[in-house]
Amino acid sequence: MAAGLGFKTFNTGDVLSAADTNGYLMQGVLVFANAAARDAAITSPQEGQCCYLKDTDAVQTYSGSAWVGFDDSNAIQNSIVDAKGDIVAASGNDTPARLAVGSNGDTLVADSAATTGLIWAKPVASLSNPIVNGGMDIWQRGTSFSSPNTIYVADRWKAEGSTPACTVARQATGDTTNLPNIQYGLRFQRNSGQTNTSTVYLYTGVETANAIPFAGKAITVSFYAKCGANYSSSASALGYFLNSGTGTDENPTGSYTGNVSVASGNVTLTTTYQRFVFTGTIGATATEFKIGFNYTPSGTASTNDWFEVTGVQIDSGTWTASTAPTFRRSGNTLQGELAACQRYYMRLTGGASSSNYGIGYAYNTTSAAINLRNAVTMRITPTVLDYSAIGLTVVGVNNYTITGLAIDAGTSGNDYVILLATGASGLTTGASYSLRNTSNVAGFIGLSAEL
Amino acid sequence: MENIRELFIEMPNGESSTHIIIENGNGHFTSMLKSTYDEMLAAQSTPIDTEDE
Repeated sequence: MAAGLGFKTFNTGDVLSAADTNGYLMQGVLVFANAAARDAAITSPQEGQCCYLKDTDAVQTYSGSAWVGFDDSNAIQNSIVDAKGDIVAASGNDTPARLAVGSNGDTLVADSAATTGLIWAKPVASLSNPIVNGGMDIWQRGTSFSSPNTIYVADRWKAEGSTPACTVARQATGDTTNLPNIQYGLRFQRNSGQTNTSTVYLYTGVETANAIPFAGKAITVSFYAKCGANYSSSASALGYFLNSGTGTDENPTGSYTGNVSVASGNVTLTTTYQRFVFTGTIGATATEFKIGFNYTPSGTASTNDWFEVTGVQIDSGTWTASTAPTFRRSGNTLQGELAACQRYYMRLTGGASSSNYGIGYAYNTTSAAINLRNAVTMRITPTVLDYSAIGLTVVGVNNYTITGLAIDAGTSGNDYVILLATGASGLTTGASYSLRNTSNVAGFIGLSAEL
Repeated sequence: MENIRELFIEMPNGESSTHIIIENGNGHFTSMLKSTYDEMLAAQSTPIDTEDE
């Protein structure tokens, strides 16, 4: 078969020569019902001849020895996919690869560790992060604590760090490279020169209402942590633990009813923030859980014997450090996080020497009952009160020193409290008084409804 | 150094209750019902769970 001559427009009167016929007209694609019909019609195919087979919708060309399909080696071949839902991804430059269909409901997630850089994963959990103040944003009680002996430091986080003497303090992370823009971390430091090597703890409890949604579920705890240059824990280990219980709203200090260790272990810290995860399955009957961190120091503390932690989060499902959902506050916004914290503890800080907190009346000559409206509805009626530099006053007339301030448990509620200010002298029964700072700008009242 | 004292408080309804006043230093105080304080001490007397019982 002669090589084609290209394309020609025939005009009226032109003579159709044999060369034109072979060079133009015979260069087209010949259409046949199937290969058998073609082979019957073309018994001596010529190299370069083309045909179209209607039964398979295939275009073939004759190579000189056989009819072959138009097979572009750079095209994605049909055989690359095997099943409904398979998709074609890439394992590298110019390298297509099959990604088998995921399970119903899965979503496609980028994962650099996977062959194709993609994995099918369960959708990000719709459950909120149950760790209130996991980003260490809220510090109503103060931002630095010396030797905390089983007390709350950052909101919702309790520290046991009195032996050895430790300092727990808020730290600005200043790290927008290794953290997803988390402003603060909690630093737990063994004070320089301390030789005691008892284990110290930092932990938070999740109340029953927030724990039950995770019952029976696989969960992933993610957090960011780093250590100081003189961190004395063996192999720079930071211990973690997650324990569940079957009680209701129990104090995370001590032991839960029906205690079960869901997960525990160690991560290895460096002086740079890293994200870590640990996983476990909350028991089907669990009604509460707590998570925490600990470390056992060694030797004599130098000036940077500390760890920092922030961005603590729990998600349903099993994730890796690279695939775990981005850290999100339990309360989403800063204001929401504050409100979430105030469900457990609410501190009123007037900020002025004459700040008034509430008004009430004297029910005898030494005591007054003061009404206080809570900023949010608290978890329960507050049971613990802390305060400083508080007294009674008739504004502009007189100030009265008190010797005690307490919550009237019988008449207080989640939304309000009645404070009993006692030990004053010379009150007029039935007269109105206000509770205010005693000429001290640092005065405050704190109401606790903690677990 | 903590300074702990009991305080009997007469309430507006004429009943009285026993509170614990803890002086935490720096003029900071913590108060709670004695029953709450006893529960808190009981919890602190048990090591925190970090493993199975």
